[in-house]
Amino acid sequence: MKSLKLTTILAIIAVLLIASCAKVATPTEPSGANTTEKTLVVWDQFYRPVESSVMDTLNREFEAAHPGVKIQREVKVLEDLELTLPLALTKADGPDVAQVNQGRNSMGALVQAGVLLPLDDYVAQYQWGNVFSTSVASRNSFSADGRVFGQGSLYGVSPTAEVVGVFYNKDIFKSNGWKVPATFEEFEALLKDIKAKGITPISFGSLDGWNAIHEFSSIQHLLVSQDYINNLTYGVNNVSFDTPENVQAAQILLDWSKAGYFTDGYPGIGYDDSNNLFKSGQGAMTITGSWLTAELLTGTDQQFGFFLMPPYSGKTAMSIGGVGIPFSIRKTSLEPELSAEYLNWMISPRAAELWAEAGMLPAMNLPADTKVDTKGLFGDTLNAWNTINKNNLVGHYIDWATPTFGDTLTAELQKLLGGITTPADFAAAVEKDYSAYLAEQSK
Amino acid sequence: MRLPGLFISSMRRNRAYPGEHAWKGWPYLLPAFLVYFVFTFLPILETIRTSLFDWDGISPTRQFVGLQNYTRLIADSQFLTAFFHNLVFIIFYCIIPILVGLLLASLLTRRKIKGFTFFRTVLFIPQVISMVVVGVVWRWIFNPTFGPLNVLLRAIGLQIWAKAWLGDFTWALPAVGSIGTWVQYGFCMILFLAGMQRISEEYYEASSLDGANAFQQFIHITIPGLRPEIGVALITTIIAALRVFDLVFTTTRGGPGDSTLVTGFLIYRSAFLQKDMGYASAIATILTVVILAISLLIRRFSSDSKGEPA
Repeated sequence: MKSLKLTTILAIIAVLLIASCAKVATPTEPSGANTTEKTLVVWDQFYRPVESSVMDTLNREFEAAHPGVKIQREVKVLEDLELTLPLALTKADGPDVAQVNQGRNSMGALVQAGVLLPLDDYVAQYQWGNVFSTSVASRNSFSADGRVFGQGSLYGVSPTAEVVGVFYNKDIFKSNGWKVPATFEEFEALLKDIKAKGITPISFGSLDGWNAIHEFSSIQHLLVSQDYINNLTYGVNNVSFDTPENVQAAQILLDWSKAGYFTDGYPGIGYDDSNNLFKSGQGAMTITGSWLTAELLTGTDQQFGFFLMPPYSGKTAMSIGGVGIPFSIRKTSLEPELSAEYLNWMISPRAAELWAEAGMLPAMNLPADTKVDTKGLFGDTLNAWNTINKNNLVGHYIDWATPTFGDTLTAELQKLLGGITTPADFAAAVEKDYSAYLAEQSK
Repeated sequence: MRLPGLFISSMRRNRAYPGEHAWKGWPYLLPAFLVYFVFTFLPILETIRTSLFDWDGISPTRQFVGLQNYTRLIADSQFLTAFFHNLVFIIFYCIIPILVGLLLASLLTRRKIKGFTFFRTVLFIPQVISMVVVGVVWRWIFNPTFGPLNVLLRAIGLQIWAKAWLGDFTWALPAVGSIGTWVQYGFCMILFLAGMQRISEEYYEASSLDGANAFQQFIHITIPGLRPEIGVALITTIIAALRVFDLVFTTTRGGPGDSTLVTGFLIYRSAFLQKDMGYASAIATILTVVILAISLLIRRFSSDSKGEPA
């Protein structure tokens, strides 16, 4: 009986192997069948139904505008894409255009391996400088050897964007006569008022850890210079994490915790649970990214708004934000011109319109005559993104700085908030991770 | 004590039936061996090989670094912390479940209880639920705002005991550990129930005629009789404690700070989040060696005086 089962399993494995071989063989078919037609192979990771239909629409319209061009789309989840792309980009029949994740471990490694096309010529040809601010472009830039992040040539263009700020409950604000604060001083005074009313000022849960980085770094972004945050994130010019500003940001966060501004028992509450509490009206505000927008627009009777963490009075401040996974071109693609045109289409006003309709923040400006509802919560996040993108105030997810930075920050923030360490200890412990990485890099 | 089943098996060990060649059995093993070889043995070899390289898991090239990953490991305070937590988990995954399992099994067998099957099934249920579901459910039970545990504590006037269980530096490890206890005791209980049914009733009758009480019977008849089962329970639960990953992943992700970090989670984090495949493989290799060593040790102790395996 046992061996019978095993033969069955072996038979199934054999069938699956044959089936997968057959599947691998198909991509070469169309190009061989009709030589007059051009085929553009595109790999993307927009697998969720809404995203996927946006991509389908864009591809259909691109094909319609380019007779004889056929787009062969392959959709993968991000993990799959990241695992299979490196090898595929070295193949002659690999994707012409593919989404390549940002950061040293992904795009950096591929630039280093010499499989991505630098886009400098097309930046000039299509004037992409007008579409994105330099700070956005540098997220998709590397030196030719792939070692310096944030400088050198552009290797990808991102269609979508994210910004971290403050979601607030409009109903709670209205019934108490509170207004959206214009300065950080007003924001802190507001926290005090809300607490005095017996309402949780900031809905927060640090059990999952990673989102605590956003709470800390939102305050940090108000205190440090743009050069500093760029240097820190891109690992250049030997900056330290152990600075008075970072200690101060940690102190403010700790003070908020001690004053009871966060959800009661927040160390034991997960990210989704804290969002659900906020969504159900428990908590006046929450600090997180624009990706929560769609979630807050459905399944609740509360009205929500969004504002950027306000700067200290008389100052301007950056906000944490960034652009989504960019599209890149394979260096050995036989259709570089067509691929570049496709990239330009991915970041066109039409694409912006479609992403906005789907409730996702487009990285580029919407057309002037847009039909998308730019009022309400989505409009708030859109305005916030446009403000920081236009004024070159897009900050960084600092956990990009080193491969271990996110985990170190998470653990050290939990220790800080748990009363195990002081703000000075916190900055010193994170600096230890950072300087070890810089030392490793300079080897 | 020599049990009939073991006696027969020792007589038949390593011997073919008369007139039959021993090699005839081997081809029958081939399909199973092939699957084992491809899906278990090769990956283990590959893990050991990877542990000698510096590799991000993506790049086509990787650099040979010899035993450098292992020397890093010994000096890594996080690894030592994680391994210490695994040892603490042995208390929750192994010792407490075996004690609770023994207690429940003897309660259920020594006296005829109405609804025996019902109790046995209900007590065993935690063991059959997927660990991810267990983690999600307990995360909810431990939730400080709306979790039933804190709600109950407040309701009975013990609000000072209500806390952010999974986010508390003192309580997170015992809280996650006690979920492990909840999952494991059912397995021990079923194992011991089966074992107890095999112990001859005559021993109990004879000893009670000699005036032994229930506790003495438990110590001198039940426990020695369950030796093989206790051996199996020890091995499986200790392995579970050493390789725990899913429960930590779904509840605390090693937090707060490093207070619930275990080696299994450290392997995942190094390999897939920090893209340090060589280092992760080194941890995995060490963990495998430790588990093998402990399993062999327990097998030795739980076998009887003549060295028969349990």
